[in-house]
Amino acid sequence: MIAEDVLRQALRAVRGHRTRSSLTMLGIMIGIASVILLTSIGEGTRIYILSEFTQFGTNLASINPGRVETTGMHGAIGGTVHPLTIEDAEAIRRIPGVVATVPTTMGAAAVEHAGRTRNVFVYGVTSEGARAWGMGVRVGRFLPAADPSVGAAVAVLGPKLKLELFGDANPLGEHVRIGGQRFLVIGIMEPKGQFLGFDIDDAVYIPVATAMPLFNRSDLHEIDFVTSNAMVTDSVVARVKALLIDRHGGEEDFTITTQTGMLESLDRILRIVSLAVTGIAAISLLVGAIGILTMMWISVNERTSEIGLAKAIGATRRQILWLYLSEAALLSSMGGLLGIAGGWGVAALIHLLLPALPVHTPKEYAFLALVVSVAVGLLSGILPARRAAAMDPIEALAAE
Amino acid sequence: MILLSGVSRTFEVGGRPVRALRGIDLEIEAGEYVSIMGPSGSGKSTLLNILGCLDRPTDGSYRLDGQETSRLSEDELSIVRRHKIGFIFQFFHLVPRLSAAENVELPMIFAGIDPGLRRERISVSLASVGLTDRAHHRPDQLSGGERQRVAMARAMVMQPAILLADEPTGNLDSASGGEVVALLETMNRERGLTLVVVTHDPGIGGRAGRRIRLADGALVEDKRAEASPASGSR
Amino acid sequence: MRSRDLLRFSSGALRGHRLRTFLSLLGVAIGVASVIMLTSLGEGARLYVTGEFASLGSNLLIVLPGKTETAGAMPFMGSAPHDLTLEDVKDLRRRIPEIRRIAPVVMGTATAEAPGRSRDATIIGTTHEVLELRKLKMAVGRFLPPGETDAPVCVLGAKIASDLFGNGNPLGETVRIGETRLRVIGTMAPRGTSIGMNFDEVIEIPVETSMRMFDRSTLFRVLVEVASHERIEGVRREVIEVIKERHDGVEDVTVITQDAVLETFNQILMILTAALAGIAAISLTVAGIGIMNVMLVSVSERTREIGLLKALGVSGRQIVAVFLLEAAIISASGGVLGLGAGLGAGQALRRIVPEFPVQPPVWAVAAALAVSVSIGLLFGSLPARRAARLDPVEALMRKRG
Repeated sequence: MIAEDVLRQALRAVRGHRTRSSLTMLGIMIGIASVILLTSIGEGTRIYILSEFTQFGTNLASINPGRVETTGMHGAIGGTVHPLTIEDAEAIRRIPGVVATVPTTMGAAAVEHAGRTRNVFVYGVTSEGARAWGMGVRVGRFLPAADPSVGAAVAVLGPKLKLELFGDANPLGEHVRIGGQRFLVIGIMEPKGQFLGFDIDDAVYIPVATAMPLFNRSDLHEIDFVTSNAMVTDSVVARVKALLIDRHGGEEDFTITTQTGMLESLDRILRIVSLAVTGIAAISLLVGAIGILTMMWISVNERTSEIGLAKAIGATRRQILWLYLSEAALLSSMGGLLGIAGGWGVAALIHLLLPALPVHTPKEYAFLALVVSVAVGLLSGILPARRAAAMDPIEALAAE
Repeated sequence: MILLSGVSRTFEVGGRPVRALRGIDLEIEAGEYVSIMGPSGSGKSTLLNILGCLDRPTDGSYRLDGQETSRLSEDELSIVRRHKIGFIFQFFHLVPRLSAAENVELPMIFAGIDPGLRRERISVSLASVGLTDRAHHRPDQLSGGERQRVAMARAMVMQPAILLADEPTGNLDSASGGEVVALLETMNRERGLTLVVVTHDPGIGGRAGRRIRLADGALVEDKRAEASPASGSR
Repeated sequence: MRSRDLLRFSSGALRGHRLRTFLSLLGVAIGVASVIMLTSLGEGARLYVTGEFASLGSNLLIVLPGKTETAGAMPFMGSAPHDLTLEDVKDLRRRIPEIRRIAPVVMGTATAEAPGRSRDATIIGTTHEVLELRKLKMAVGRFLPPGETDAPVCVLGAKIASDLFGNGNPLGETVRIGETRLRVIGTMAPRGTSIGMNFDEVIEIPVETSMRMFDRSTLFRVLVEVASHERIEGVRREVIEVIKERHDGVEDVTVITQDAVLETFNQILMILTAALAGIAAISLTVAGIGIMNVMLVSVSERTREIGLLKALGVSGRQIVAVFLLEAAIISASGGVLGLGAGLGAGQALRRIVPEFPVQPPVWAVAAALAVSVSIGLLFGSLPARRAARLDPVEALMRKRG
């Protein structure tokens, strides 16, 4: 039997009962459409979150005191583990392959100017901080390149903070009080927006050596460093680790997190979540498959005499099997195609109405959905097809 | 070409064995026109089913064209039916969603015949039963007689050696029935097809060149007509 | 037609085609089972979290140093110009009578050493009150002595104790943390993780000792237990006022109530569960379509039977009732089957993981039953109406097949 004939017969059979074929296809269509829709939303969200993280520039790594395993929460606590110091950062800066280091201490404090006060995050960093974190200066300049262990009383404002404290006036050359201490404003950052809900623009940047006494600390929260390119990152990280162990009396009491490592874990988690949600949507596909099974079974029963006739004129069991299998597969793949189109369409519509919700339908997923729908048809069709193939032709012909 | 030796067929009905055929010995030459008659329950249809390789004997042997059919597998029997046997049934058994031409095409689809060759054979087959102008009609658009003729065209399209007809006129009025029988006899006469007709109607059965009668599963009569009425005019 | 006859007529028809009736109801069963399972899991998670919070005591306030304007951002690494000190804590207790218990908390990580062994541990500097506040239980010995804020003593978490001292009794033994030597005066009963803090891996020491150990001048947190639940909001405001006054009029602390945190968790989990259940419920639509499909076949198969009924005087409305009932029976049976399966699976899960209180919320069970019946009625209405509209003469004349 030629494939073209099989297809044609399947098509005739499907067209022969328009209503019931449409309803059967509709079931699969809804199943595939919901899978495509949710996968699109999941994929879009995953890409969005990853891009949010990569907005800080790649080749970035961070070092926090303490090892992650002990508390799961690192950096904020410190302890009798060796503190991270500015000298550590300087030593790391000298390693070949490191193009920037940012010793960091942060906290929350009240920033005040001319009677207006605002409680924001204060980042104590160095001159390389802006470039390392992929942020630009809109007006004025970032922290001056100077000996990081000497703290100047200068500050760079985030654009939202500037707006709240100064309105439209130019703050350069003005003074603000941070935690009671007087700082000279030397620059305003470019708007960067939000990072997972945190408003990055509502912050202020001061030299780390000034931040430390402000928050009563003698050590750093974190040291970030940037490698020259993504390929050397692993070897550079190894050298940084060796250097720090040496400086910390042979102890590895710190944690280095590369952006790739973090992104990979994040990506894994997001994919798993997306998969779980898609799996739930696939339940409707299962129910659709049962629908195909039911209708094919009814079909086989109705066409008993036809099956007997086919056998009488020389069809083998396998040919009968394939005829009914392909009918089921045709039903489900037509439903699948409609479902792919439908799911894609609804996803696009949702994105139009809610631009904040990211959607993305990778072509591979659409192709996979098609393969799945064909598979669903074949699987659902097996039982009815086997029943048809196994029918005794004499009994079948006698049935009416 | 057909040789039945000691063929029996026993069925299990409600736990008890029923002997539909008992020790049938029968030999049919190529080109013969045979009718099989008998009361209901006599085993006529069972015999036809065995002749058509739709059923296997419980005992005995059936040699078709020298080949022992009991040794053949299911698939091999399908191929025998495909190429050697044409069936015509009382209830026509046309596929309702296919046109007349598509119904005739069916055996060739299962045989895997090249699509380019099919069209010619379909039109020849339909022409031989006089339904060329009905080729694209569906069964529900055809009369009973026309449907049976489509079934005949279908049975003929693979150029079988044997035509088996099970009560071919049972569902037709006498006029159409007459047409159908005439066509069958034409095939037998002009193409040398072996024709076996199962019927309960003696008017039809009597036209055959050889009349076989069954009773209670046994062959009780096997008469050859001296001058077969079918060769003359009616 | 009397309703009992109606029921018998419909169920007879269904029993005549067992397989396809079963397959039709299977679709509904799968849909209902998955919705029940998902809502049970979600409810289990919600109950687990709220249970954890309840174990904390529901009259709790948490004071954190630092404050931010950015909506929702808590200064989790809070620092502020003014230290949150033990003096602040003393003052709060003195000035707000509704405070039943108050405990300062300092936190750090360090390596704890015992003879021959050592391991990293979270060190919590606090006072005696935290035992009641956090509803902790001792295994052996006693907790930090009341009134003592600076003493060379420590209390070990269950896992720390076994890691450092094996099966032996650690009471009276010395643990060294950095330069400090501390005598073990008690071990805590195993407790596991509670809201992110694994008490088994913690060593409690007096607060001032810890502040010296980590060279801190500010507290990490202050935990406050309020005498009565209704007064929580009022006390929260009073705490902020007292601190503000002590900190030169600067409001540089954030005080969160457990209720607020709980409420947020509650809402998030409920929305999540509802969303997942909603996705699973799409399958019910597909099941309904399946029922409609089978019912339509049924109607066309029984055309002559319907014609006969009409000829005998059965009204169109009664015909509708027959087919609607059939569809409803299919979907309701599916719903009951799915409910049973979902509940059963939940029970099995509870047996395997008893800590996780998997159970379906009452509304979900009621909704599942209601929805399954409605599906049959909704998707059966088209076939039912088609059956009712059949012309009896045509119907009787129509040949089968």
